[in-house]
Amino acid sequence: MEDYKYLFKVVLIGNAGVGKTCLVRRFTQGLFPPGQGATIGVDFMIKTIEIGGEKVKLQIWDTAGQERFRSITQSYYHSADALVLVFDVTSKESFNALPSWLREVEQYASPKVISVLVGNKIDLGKDREVNEEDGQSFADSHSMRFLETSAKESDNVDRLFLDIAVELTNNVRNGEIRHDDHEDIIKDTTSVSTCCKG
Amino acid sequence: MDESYDVIVLGTGLKESVLSGLMSVNGKKVLHLDQNKYYGGESASLTPLKDVYTYFTKEMPGGDDSMGRGRDWNVDLIPKFLMATGKLVNILINSGVTRYLEFKSVEGSYVFKDGKVHKVPATETEALTSSLLSLGEKNSFRGFLKYIAEFNPEDLKDEVDPETTTAQELYDKFGLSKSTVDFTGHALGLYRDDSYLAQPCGKTIRRIKLYSESLARYGKSPYLYPMYGLGELPQGFARLSAIYGGTYMLDKPIDEITMEDGKVTGVKSGGEVAKCSMVIGDPKYFPDRVKKVGQVVRAICLLNHSVPNTSDAASCQIIIPQGQVNRKSDIYVLIVSHAHHVATKGHYIALVATTVETGEPEDELKPGLDLLGPIVEKFVSVSDMYEPNDDGKENQLFISSSYDATTHFETVLDDIQDIYLRATGEAIDFSKVQHDLEANKDSQ
Repeated sequence: MEDYKYLFKVVLIGNAGVGKTCLVRRFTQGLFPPGQGATIGVDFMIKTIEIGGEKVKLQIWDTAGQERFRSITQSYYHSADALVLVFDVTSKESFNALPSWLREVEQYASPKVISVLVGNKIDLGKDREVNEEDGQSFADSHSMRFLETSAKESDNVDRLFLDIAVELTNNVRNGEIRHDDHEDIIKDTTSVSTCCKG
Repeated sequence: MDESYDVIVLGTGLKESVLSGLMSVNGKKVLHLDQNKYYGGESASLTPLKDVYTYFTKEMPGGDDSMGRGRDWNVDLIPKFLMATGKLVNILINSGVTRYLEFKSVEGSYVFKDGKVHKVPATETEALTSSLLSLGEKNSFRGFLKYIAEFNPEDLKDEVDPETTTAQELYDKFGLSKSTVDFTGHALGLYRDDSYLAQPCGKTIRRIKLYSESLARYGKSPYLYPMYGLGELPQGFARLSAIYGGTYMLDKPIDEITMEDGKVTGVKSGGEVAKCSMVIGDPKYFPDRVKKVGQVVRAICLLNHSVPNTSDAASCQIIIPQGQVNRKSDIYVLIVSHAHHVATKGHYIALVATTVETGEPEDELKPGLDLLGPIVEKFVSVSDMYEPNDDGKENQLFISSSYDATTHFETVLDDIQDIYLRATGEAIDFSKVQHDLEANKDSQ
């Protein structure tokens, strides 16, 4: 029914206010919503891209604000194919919180998940509290890729998600991750009911 | 937390989480608190395995990795399955919470009779080959199933009135033997005791229909079970609530529920007061406002083999009808495993539960435990069941009832519907629960 070859679930985590929703909106809608408070009303967003002639659908999930009091549900992590761990380069506190985020990842996410560390808000250079080397070395010590981004200026945002899509697609093609081999019962009914609503 | 809310919900069990989600979707400002560090309260699935030992204050055997990686275990505290066409599935679909969860069917449904485990026949074809029934019984049972399948309350026939004919009279009409009635009422109708026999048969017909329609949906059994355990269910509804603006805080011990003129005014936690005009919560948060109505005994058993006589099913249910073991209420055995990501490969979790009838609750589980074969580890608990003292309309405190011994979620949903009605004066309107946020659409 739907026109894509692969569907991947990408999950964003990191402290409140680091710009997770802005990254998603920038990538999926090309927007930078100014002056936003805590995220309300966003479940996940979808963007379909083409990789090597095949359509790949990225389903990008936001935290629903549950990170504010560190109350993210475990189930949020369960079926993630990729995790984007975001901190704000102008907030040392958000950088210092990374180890505790990684503990949750270690406990609840699949061992095969690919994870990327992102330092966001590089457009606010004068307020920087975390330099690029510190981000890179944290990422290196946890075998993650590292990127610095600006959701506002659109720096590196497309690259962040496209790299993830390419890596996941390659992993499926090389048989490193299995794909959609479980029975997806109940969900079938849901997609029918939502498509009928138009 | 020093703010005002429409509703404060205490405890993140399934009932509270569904209600929180419904309230948020309907535009209420919700604060949802739990005294535990984890979601789910009584309806949690504990992970890693070490936490199960901690919960039951048992020492985990060290230096032994035969149980595999601890984090691959998700152990339910309360055993239940979802009926494939039941009310919980209905609300999951309507609310869009299905997008947060994955389900797999349960492989088999069994019943204990004359000392042996038998597959439950629920279709005419299965009835013909069932080891449960003699030839004569097969014929009358087939006739009965056909009648149920074709039953239409608008078009009554055979002088059966669902409002006046009793269940026993209905069975007699089809000449069902005592033992056929036994498994029909308990394994298909899912009655816990025999008091229903003297009641009008309408409810029994609906229950058996629910069973067969659920069975017809996915084939192997009428039951579904979520990947990673039942604890996923409350978390899914908690996320729904959060999407619609609900605020979540775990690890928040409640100091006091503040009242004025007999009405709730807020909840105090850690020295701060959150104001509200309504509180919903589980009985644990209201020890002075609930009464004990009974006890459930449950044993969580970890096994390193499948359960005998279940065709090596990776998941299944065995019902031991009370009449088979001289009890007043049934014993339920639910088995799940690696296939649902709740145990490591080669391991199984069997949950045995029943309503307490004697002073030796653990002994009451014996007929169920005896079916399991060797048990690696066993965690036994006796839980008090509570009900609220009042309906909450005066004080605006709406308290849920404890989870009963039933093996599915139908009574859970009844309580949710009832609390929602008491709290809002309206029945749950599923069409309002639908998820249609513009952000979810593909922007390309």
